[in-house]
Amino acid sequence: MPETITAARPAAGAGERPRLARAAPLVVALLAAGALWLAPLGLDTFAVNVLTRSMIYAVLAVTVDLLWGFAGILTFGQAAFFGIGAYATAMLLTAKGGAPPWMLAAAALAVAAPVLLGLAVGWLSFYHRSTALYASVISLVVPIVVTQAIYSGGERTGSSSGLVGFDVLPLEIEGYFRLAGLLLVAVTLAAWILVRSDAGRLLVALRDNEARCAYLGLNPRRLQIGLTAVLAGVAGLAGFVFANASGVVAPENAGFLFGTELVIWVALGGRGTLIGPVLGTIAIDYLAANLSGDLPFLWQLLLGTAFVAIIILLPGGLADLARRAWGLVPHRRSPASVPRLRADPSRAAARTDGPLLAVQGLAKSYGSLTVLENIDLTVRAGELVSLVGPNGAGKTTLMRCLSDGTEPFRGAIAVGGVPTAGLTPNRIVALGVGRKFQVASVFESLSIADCLRLARASRAGLSPLARAETLGLPQAVLDILRMTGLDAQLAAPARLLSHGQKQALELAMVVALEPRLILLDEPTAGLTKAERTTIGTVLKGLTADLGIAVVLVEHDLDFVREISSRIVVLHQGRLVLDGTVDEVVGSALVRTIYAGGAHG
Amino acid sequence: MADMSMAEASRADASAADAAMTGAAGAGLVLTEVSSGYGAVSIVRGVSLAIRPGESVALLGKNGMGKTTLLKTILGLVGLRSGAIAIDGRSVADLSPAKLVALGVGYAPQEQPLFQDLSIRDNLRLALASDRLLPEALARVFGHFPFLKDRLSQRAGTLSGGEQKMLILARALMLRPRLLLIDEISEGLQPSVVDRIAAALAAERVANGTTMLIVEQNLDFALRVANRWAALKLGEIDDEGPVDGDARARILRHLSV
Amino acid sequence: MLLLLDILTTAAILFVVAIGLLAVFGVLKIINFAHGAWLTIGAYCAVVAARLGLNPWAALPLAFAVGAALGGLAELFIIRPLYRRPLDAILATWGLGIVVGQLITLAFGRDVQLTPNLLSGTVEVLGTGYSAYRLVALLAALVIGAAFALVIERTRLGLSARAVIMNETLARGLGLDTARVRLVVFMIGAGLAALAGVLLTPLTSVDPTMGVGWLIGAFMLVMVADASFLALAAACLVFGAAQVLVSTFVSPVLGSIAVAVLAALVLRISPKGFSRA
Repeated sequence: MPETITAARPAAGAGERPRLARAAPLVVALLAAGALWLAPLGLDTFAVNVLTRSMIYAVLAVTVDLLWGFAGILTFGQAAFFGIGAYATAMLLTAKGGAPPWMLAAAALAVAAPVLLGLAVGWLSFYHRSTALYASVISLVVPIVVTQAIYSGGERTGSSSGLVGFDVLPLEIEGYFRLAGLLLVAVTLAAWILVRSDAGRLLVALRDNEARCAYLGLNPRRLQIGLTAVLAGVAGLAGFVFANASGVVAPENAGFLFGTELVIWVALGGRGTLIGPVLGTIAIDYLAANLSGDLPFLWQLLLGTAFVAIIILLPGGLADLARRAWGLVPHRRSPASVPRLRADPSRAAARTDGPLLAVQGLAKSYGSLTVLENIDLTVRAGELVSLVGPNGAGKTTLMRCLSDGTEPFRGAIAVGGVPTAGLTPNRIVALGVGRKFQVASVFESLSIADCLRLARASRAGLSPLARAETLGLPQAVLDILRMTGLDAQLAAPARLLSHGQKQALELAMVVALEPRLILLDEPTAGLTKAERTTIGTVLKGLTADLGIAVVLVEHDLDFVREISSRIVVLHQGRLVLDGTVDEVVGSALVRTIYAGGAHG
Repeated sequence: MADMSMAEASRADASAADAAMTGAAGAGLVLTEVSSGYGAVSIVRGVSLAIRPGESVALLGKNGMGKTTLLKTILGLVGLRSGAIAIDGRSVADLSPAKLVALGVGYAPQEQPLFQDLSIRDNLRLALASDRLLPEALARVFGHFPFLKDRLSQRAGTLSGGEQKMLILARALMLRPRLLLIDEISEGLQPSVVDRIAAALAAERVANGTTMLIVEQNLDFALRVANRWAALKLGEIDDEGPVDGDARARILRHLSV
Repeated sequence: MLLLLDILTTAAILFVVAIGLLAVFGVLKIINFAHGAWLTIGAYCAVVAARLGLNPWAALPLAFAVGAALGGLAELFIIRPLYRRPLDAILATWGLGIVVGQLITLAFGRDVQLTPNLLSGTVEVLGTGYSAYRLVALLAALVIGAAFALVIERTRLGLSARAVIMNETLARGLGLDTARVRLVVFMIGAGLAALAGVLLTPLTSVDPTMGVGWLIGAFMLVMVADASFLALAAACLVFGAAQVLVSTFVSPVLGSIAVAVLAALVLRISPKGFSRA
């Protein structure tokens, strides 16, 4: 029955509500744009001037929020990209004048130069096994380098005094206000649509669990580098508008201190909320302009104190406070939208006659400690091979070598005849290998449906504009969801699931990759009896019906005996036994290993 | 029949210690419905176990059944989800590991048990809160493991596997614990080393009446150093009993494939 | 020869500035972005000592005590709650730095302060005059480094700190009060930062933001050293040399960013930095 297995809760009136919800950002944006268009009429010149600058800064805050609040990359570097955009504009306009073709060229350069630098910075910041801290370190260095480059630029950059007096767009101050307002609305709208879309879930997924992204066949590096480059371009565009609106560019605009200010504004406004950072930035910058004249130091002191307090006590920022206050007001909560599940026709995997997994002479050591030695192992389609052995036998290390070709090991591992040495996890996934971790590795802040959609992303792609109304999954995944009851709670965030449900969800995500080989590390650890039985049934079905090969690390020997077609025993890094269930269970060697040294 | 004689020998070890324990200085440990785990995972599920002062209990069970986590929970390294832990009738559930160690709880861990880059002397020093008691404590553990004496400045990481295990135990004995928690001390050891460790434990019980909770997979060793046993399965106590003629057969049922 | 002296003294100054940060990073695994502010606090201790008419050298113990005391408060109220959120700890300590800078501004004004010279004049080195104070700085680095090594290697506290660095779980299991070790190490790190602030006074102008410029360089050195004391000394020598050579032969501006850029590249190639050797 490959027909539709629908979600258990088809929300009432589901037909109209999503359409309305989808239009909401556009409506809000139009209203905001309209209000900003009229605003200069009611504001004095000082306010118009200051708010123009504030709104440009708010554009930067949106980019910082996307990077930090959503994708988890704490960056101080947006100031540098902003400064480069501003300086590119000012330098070109100083040299060539403000004729329309040059103005266009300046805008293009203000975007292109930061994008190129963003690519370079991204390449430097993100690589397999790079750390979040390292990316932040690089983002610190970039503005320092850019500032020093400006200082040493002599006449071309105006050195420490900056550039002034270049031709700018022929606009009045109201015109600049409206230009900045439109830019802010456009950027915020685009960001809003992105974070609400399926592709936006990917940003959160990167923040939650980068490793799981890689083991879903997605390339985290490319995404992070791409995001860095694109948002560098946006910051550059803001720099272009800033240079025109202010008529002055100075080294401080590109500096590390400005980069930290952006982070402070975003933190105070509320990271990960978009609107919080926008309003926070505008409010703080406007207040600063008004107050810093009268109480310059006190203002900074208050801001710094508030920042420290917010970071410690209220990591969600003022937006979180507002949300909590709103939560106290009784109001109708709109139910989270749930996609309809549909069965995707399973793609017939090209069956190879040769072994699916071939391990030859595998050895691995950490320093002088040898963990694996001379392992030979062959797994064919449809087999369910269990790896058993006491703690420290090297089982988990073996799994790691199988799923990550960048682990330094000796010997050869091939999947479907392709050697995996040097391949990153996402490329091994592309060969048809799915890995389930010992501690369930899912995306904690995403819903079950979103976790599953990301598992399909390497095959089906993700829309950057909207949320798809259906979610196509292989029949085997639908079966797992039904057996475990997950299909009835697709909208629930993964972090609220029980341990057993999380394990089941991760297994469903791995199966959704339609792999040829699944590696499982202790899938039953901490599960109840009933949950174990379910997982066992699922695994037997995958191997028997779909011809998927499974390699399983497991301590529960009762479980192993029930489901395995073969058992491999590891002891002290060596493969000591490889045989059928009966051969291994009856072996005196295994008894010895498990009961401790039966000497005497 | 080698097994039989082994079991008898072990009973002899343990009962000799029992007999010597008059006016025991060991602490009593009572676990009531203890549950704990990591993140969303419950590893230990409602374990109840009472150990009288001076008693030595072997906790057996296959890998992944929650034995190590239970020890860590007693020591306060893993947070208690529910239930109660009492030492000498006093609840210790919310005490930090530092406070528990000050109460006289010694711990011989299994995973990453030594500071590999520190000297043997420094590894032993770290078991004591101050260096004042160091000479006396060192003299005591040299009595159990004389080889340590001449190698105090050697790096712990350069010791052989068996020597490392003896160092781990020696360190746990440094503060003359009233309650000793031992995690798979016999793992991967040669019979001669196992003998030395068993002898050290027996001697410690005779001398100080130390209460012991010994997590093991090596049945022979466990039967030799304990006078009671309990089998842990899936985070719960599955079976328990005294170390007697039936113990071996009953435990093997829990350990076998 | 003068170049060599320049390199040695530059490395010495970098070392003095970075060592407090290294101690904190090693044990707490937290980057203390308020480190720059503590340098500033130290420098203002020298200002205060001068106003009180104390011997300029008396500023050194004063700064250490004040820095350590304030550091203790910072650890208790700001670092401790963020122990499991290291990126947030960077931000909170940065915010703390702003607060400290503004408090100093409120108390002393934002102008550059004059401090009495700890030691003036030059010393004849191979026929050329060389700043006597830079040689003192070299000596100070050696003394501080030796004292630091002595504490680490010989004292109970040093042993506890090393145990926490190597394996915090095991240290806790053996009954070490790791929270106290962290507090004491943070206080020492903050005290050393303030001490470095005093030692910087003859070399740089004293104003409320003076610490920021030193922070990034120190931070990069610590990242490269990865909590290893000897690796820090090596990194200071290598990057100090790079800074002096680039400044002398290429351009002073490039020299000023040499440390940051080189450190970033070293980390990209070898994430463990210099500590592997």
